[in-house]
Amino acid sequence: MKSRGTVENLQSWLPKVKHSSLSGWSVFWVLLLLPAFVWAQDAATQAMSVEYRDIPWIGSRNLVWIVAQQHLLLAGFVLGVPIFAWICEIVGWRSKEPRYDKLAKEFTKLLTSAYATTALFGGILLFLLIGLYPKLMAYLSDVFFPSFIAYCILFLLETATLYIYWYGWDALQGNKKGLHIFLGFLLNLFALGIMIVPNSWATFQASPVVLGDGTAIERAWTAMQNPTWWPVNIHRLIANVVLGGFICGAYAGVRYLLAQTKEEKDHYDWMGYVGNFIGVFGMLPLPFAGYWLMREVYQYNQQMGITLMGGFLAWLFILQAMLIGVLFLGANYYFWMGIAYRIPGSAQSYKRPILAMLVVLMVCLGVWMTPHSLVASLAEAQLMGGTHHPLLGVFGVMSAKMTVSNLMILVTFMSFIMYWRAGKQETAAWAKVAKAVMGALLAIGGIAVVVLGVWGYFVPAIIRINYFSVAQVLIVLFIMVTFTPLTALLMKSAKTTTEMVWGQMPIRAGYALVLNAVMVILLMSLMGYARSSSRVHWHIYGVMRDTSEYAYSPALGYAAAFMSLNTFLFCLLVSFIFWVATMGDKVKKGPEQGQAAEDPTKISGGVTPAMAGGAPRVGEETLKI
Amino acid sequence: MAEQSLTRNIMKKGVIGVVVGIILVVAARATHFPEVFQFMFFLYAMLGALVFILLDAPTMPRLEGAKAVIGLIIFYAVLSGAYIGGASILPQYDPEDEKGKIDKVLKMRKAMSEQGKAEELIARAKELNDRAASIEKQLQSLGGGAVVVDDAAGSSSGAASGDLVALGKEQWELQECYNCHKLFGQGGKKRGPILDNIGNLMKPEELREKILDPKSWKAEGFDKQYEKGKMPDKYKDLMFKAEVDALVAFLATLKDASVNTPKPIKMK
Repeated sequence: MKSRGTVENLQSWLPKVKHSSLSGWSVFWVLLLLPAFVWAQDAATQAMSVEYRDIPWIGSRNLVWIVAQQHLLLAGFVLGVPIFAWICEIVGWRSKEPRYDKLAKEFTKLLTSAYATTALFGGILLFLLIGLYPKLMAYLSDVFFPSFIAYCILFLLETATLYIYWYGWDALQGNKKGLHIFLGFLLNLFALGIMIVPNSWATFQASPVVLGDGTAIERAWTAMQNPTWWPVNIHRLIANVVLGGFICGAYAGVRYLLAQTKEEKDHYDWMGYVGNFIGVFGMLPLPFAGYWLMREVYQYNQQMGITLMGGFLAWLFILQAMLIGVLFLGANYYFWMGIAYRIPGSAQSYKRPILAMLVVLMVCLGVWMTPHSLVASLAEAQLMGGTHHPLLGVFGVMSAKMTVSNLMILVTFMSFIMYWRAGKQETAAWAKVAKAVMGALLAIGGIAVVVLGVWGYFVPAIIRINYFSVAQVLIVLFIMVTFTPLTALLMKSAKTTTEMVWGQMPIRAGYALVLNAVMVILLMSLMGYARSSSRVHWHIYGVMRDTSEYAYSPALGYAAAFMSLNTFLFCLLVSFIFWVATMGDKVKKGPEQGQAAEDPTKISGGVTPAMAGGAPRVGEETLKI
Repeated sequence: MAEQSLTRNIMKKGVIGVVVGIILVVAARATHFPEVFQFMFFLYAMLGALVFILLDAPTMPRLEGAKAVIGLIIFYAVLSGAYIGGASILPQYDPEDEKGKIDKVLKMRKAMSEQGKAEELIARAKELNDRAASIEKQLQSLGGGAVVVDDAAGSSSGAASGDLVALGKEQWELQECYNCHKLFGQGGKKRGPILDNIGNLMKPEELREKILDPKSWKAEGFDKQYEKGKMPDKYKDLMFKAEVDALVAFLATLKDASVNTPKPIKMK
């Protein structure tokens, strides 16, 4: 119909052309181009009506899944690394330890190549989405266009700041260091903007709001302020720090495994420690952020919450518990090995506490992995006396799971405190009192967390969620913010009984660091799958249905295989980025490699902060290790 | 941690792990845990034993160069295999269930669209054609005698129109109204009122008005939810007229006076 109308229009237009001043050539060209024009009209009409396109063999969804996952993981990396580098730079600046500054610079160098790779995958993803999901993209563009502009501006600012931050590193030293730190702050600020703007697009898909009338900017702003936007922003911000820390740890772990010289071993052992430290400290508040996100999901749409936690995705959370449990085990294991190998002689005195902590972690993991609803045959259900096991029904609920996650965080925090204190003897007069206070706080806090968890079974859910769970989180946070400065003050005047020795860790420490990074990447992939699947067969929940042949959610085993593939691809990409970024260094170092690598292991005098894991030696110029 | 020989370490802690695992399995079996959990408990014990073994394990020989890289790849393959295996042994969600639900939704919507109507006409024409052919065949076989008409063949259109109330109940499920409204003792009740007696309190046209314009009516005692606009204003865009008709027809049948459904108040 449409093409016939177009031809008729042209036919009615042609006589006018004949009578116009245009030459016969014009008519000739019009007639010659007529079929193309009509075809273009048809194609445009057809293109407007296309909702989906597919890719043979792999399928459009799978391709988008791979590319989006790579882009998101790389984005997490390039947004997490500046935070990591900035923290290291500040620590180096305050403690006057050049190795932190060197570490920060080493990782900032990665950003330039990582940034380009991330943008490349972002571009590929955009083209794929426009081509494969035109209807969805047209809708999102209509709603969010003003935010696209803001995103581009933020990108320009981020890129400019990154260039100045990186290329100005050496020029902005000494009394200009403050300016460089400020640039690092700006870099992270713009990076935060770059993260939260696209988050609003993705969260709008899961929790859309009524847009109403208004200008394009007002509509976009309303859409951005959807209920899960900020919970996801906070969750991703913390997760990016964790990713940055553990990737740094894994890089150090791999380099440690491949290290040839003592200097290299010392340096990468130390780097692995710092990466693990930052990863662990980022990880501690992560369950709280996750809890907030789930609360918002339940408040927004109870059905979506049920789909995630009690519906077809419920078993995914058992898998999540397994990954988090292994991550906690890996992080603690690395701390414990640090005590055993870096602080000779400390292992024996800490053996019992370590075993006790390991048992607590294992029991907590067991509870966390306990599902609430059982998949049982009719015969099994009859034997149990119902669909809920009398014992599992008690452990498989949020009250128990929140309790054990808090306990696992406490144990991990105590592992770090133990590591910090190993090889040192407090000399402060108030040390005994401080230790007694900390011991009492830990005992009372631990008991309070368990009591609130048990009490949670006997109160309405709303009381448990709004008060008890929040109280548990606050207790753990209180212990952390009390212990950290108290221990720092104690260690400031402590006497070193055993020097810290770097480069002595067994090679399984390197594997532990790789394990932690793999667990974090798998976790991020798994939770991405969870968030996407929670929308079920909707592109935009309750607003735009997914009517493609891929509207269903893939099964867990299939999805896990995809996540493993994505993790492997991401590891390859990151390895490539590291390789490219360090190519020049190898050439530069050449014959003076030993000399060049020696500097990072030097510890200047003064108080070495906890992060360094070093033994404080007041008045000593350089600590040879 | 004193270094111990690897074999002694594995033997000692491995045996402890197996013993603990067996105790867990026996206890789980005695308390009638399903088999998958008995297996999981045994795995917990073995995981614990593995961590204990690693804690005291002696230093492994250092791999160098390509061997170290291969070691890392094998390590990743083991982790990956454990992850995929773990995810695969968990009870699997069957995508076919969701596909069925999606097909149901799409079928209904397609039937109501122009394309659907055209396809229905074609299908109907084909059906009539088949029947005509069948009758002709019967006539031929009977030599022009009595014609047996298959009534069942013509009843498909009746099935397609379906029971309006049943279709409305389906809409209740598909639009996930139970998420906010309790009905027949199931579903949420905090964001929206319980609806078991709504058919006695609202006329069909009033129900339709409420669905299409949530601000038109308010349930008594739900002022906060009304102010916050808890009921989404999306159904006028999301549902076809026939779908709304079906849902209204279903809601109009809800007349259980024993349930205290809040009184509706006209707002617009």
